[in-house]
Amino acid sequence: MIATLDAPAWAPTTTLRSGAGYWWTGFTWMLRWHLSSLRMWLMLLVMVQALIGVGYVLGFALFFDEIPPAAALWVSTGVPVLNLILLGMLLGPQLVAGVKEQGGYDFVQALPVPLTAAAAAWYVVTLVGGLPGMVITLVAAELRYHPPFAISPLVVPVTLLIVFTGTMIGYALAHAITKPMTTQLITQALVFVAMGFAPILFPAEQMPGWLASVNEWLPLGPMATIMRDTLTDGLIADAGRAYLVVTVWGVACGWLAVRALGRRR
Amino acid sequence: MPVAVTTDWSFRADDVTKVYKGGVRANDGLTLRIEPGEVYGLLGPNGAGKSTLVKQVIGLLAPTSGTLAIGPHDLVAHPEVARQLCSYLPQAQMPIDAFRASEAIELTGRIRGGDRATVRARTDALMDALGIEEWRTAMGLKLSGGVRRLVGFAMAVVVPGRLVILDEPTNDIDPLRRRLLWRQVRALSEQGCAVMLVTHNVLEAEKAVDRLAVVLDGRIVAEGTPSSLKAEDRGRLRLQVMLVPGSDTPESPPWLHSAVRVGNSLVTALDEADAGHGITWAQGLVDAGTAEEYALGASTLEDAYIRLTGHVSDDDEA
Repeated sequence: MIATLDAPAWAPTTTLRSGAGYWWTGFTWMLRWHLSSLRMWLMLLVMVQALIGVGYVLGFALFFDEIPPAAALWVSTGVPVLNLILLGMLLGPQLVAGVKEQGGYDFVQALPVPLTAAAAAWYVVTLVGGLPGMVITLVAAELRYHPPFAISPLVVPVTLLIVFTGTMIGYALAHAITKPMTTQLITQALVFVAMGFAPILFPAEQMPGWLASVNEWLPLGPMATIMRDTLTDGLIADAGRAYLVVTVWGVACGWLAVRALGRRR
Repeated sequence: MPVAVTTDWSFRADDVTKVYKGGVRANDGLTLRIEPGEVYGLLGPNGAGKSTLVKQVIGLLAPTSGTLAIGPHDLVAHPEVARQLCSYLPQAQMPIDAFRASEAIELTGRIRGGDRATVRARTDALMDALGIEEWRTAMGLKLSGGVRRLVGFAMAVVVPGRLVILDEPTNDIDPLRRRLLWRQVRALSEQGCAVMLVTHNVLEAEKAVDRLAVVLDGRIVAEGTPSSLKAEDRGRLRLQVMLVPGSDTPESPPWLHSAVRVGNSLVTALDEADAGHGITWAQGLVDAGTAEEYALGASTLEDAYIRLTGHVSDDDEA
């Protein structure tokens, strides 16, 4: 290898980057890339999330003359999950679809960032966009209903897990499907079907038995269960299985997302 | 003159074939080699398979068969290595609406592994050299197409890889800044980058490249230096006739070597000795009301391109 002394610092190198330093560089700078490119959108997102959350919380009381305390508690603990699911599974994929439509997708895909670092950066972006809305929703619920919250520190890892699983499901879909329009249709259908038929705002016992059993294996119901488990005392008898189901979905979809991200056609 | 070229870091495509699902054969046994320090043009009409090749190089598509390599690295087996070794400017506009111009360039440089000081200095130098320093803090959304394109170019080359792929880099850029861009392309090659220039603008490529390949239907139909490709047209002239819109293509006299019509423009080649015939024929078309005007000139690389592909290059400005 011959290089002259006056080669500038930016001259192309023959050294390949690898290891933890390479991963970390890719993660941090990809994260900054997303935060910069979405700065306007993230502010809007937080506002929309807060509106949806507060709207659900307040709107639910209108079903009743006097909302029963049990219903108030279910709604107060379910709507934050709704926030997080909407975020990861609906808004995330639509954002990726938007970038694909703009045409810059190839450029970003061709940047030297490890696939897991790219997925991790996207996950953190989703957290940044989603957490304020969730907190505002909880505050609104507290002010309106004063439900008997018993918030355990576990709420932090549980929120991280729910957002991770939701984000990875959406991320896998967004990257696996070529056509942006198709992504939007499928994620919208998925979210609304899943929300109508998943026990998020109400107890699973109120569903037909078969549908309740199906939901034990799907991610959305168990997400609500583990959130409730950390926000209340005694509302959930045994959440062990729900933790397991959400974790397995998260790991599986994380793996699928990274594969879809690196897939060559 | 000292040239910072490392040895044996050429880019090689060997017998690359890509058949899409559905049977479209976009690349059909493409073989080419780009040396470090070389600017190599990939010319061909839309749909010739140029972008398909590029997407395989950067790991967005997998070849059906064949190999792609830079130096000792197999790009097909290791797309993550390809992403480090290649920098890429896509034909589409960059997604930089919400970025300040300098920010977009610096972030790309940091993602590509450049350190803070190097990236900052290089960003400033590039913006100055491309004549876009006054838009340093302007948001991408507010930039004109040409400035945006130049910012995209700077993003692609701020921390260049061994292979720099530029897909129609001068689209939307004014002639003055095009020249500035070509100077930066040359600076890249002087530092040992292999540059792959993908374009259908033949006249521009003629000035910018060291060697080029003409691609048609997924195959290379000619390869060489611009002057070697023009050799067959030596002693020939180009006669371009602007036909009246809607008129039929006139019958070609036997001494015309080729005649390709695009829109209302008929591009033909003839021997210098037949120049007189050509003028008489073209003037006859004007007099008969079939043509509006005509021009006789020296043959260019474009004429070789027309001969090889049957297409006129899409962009007339250069």
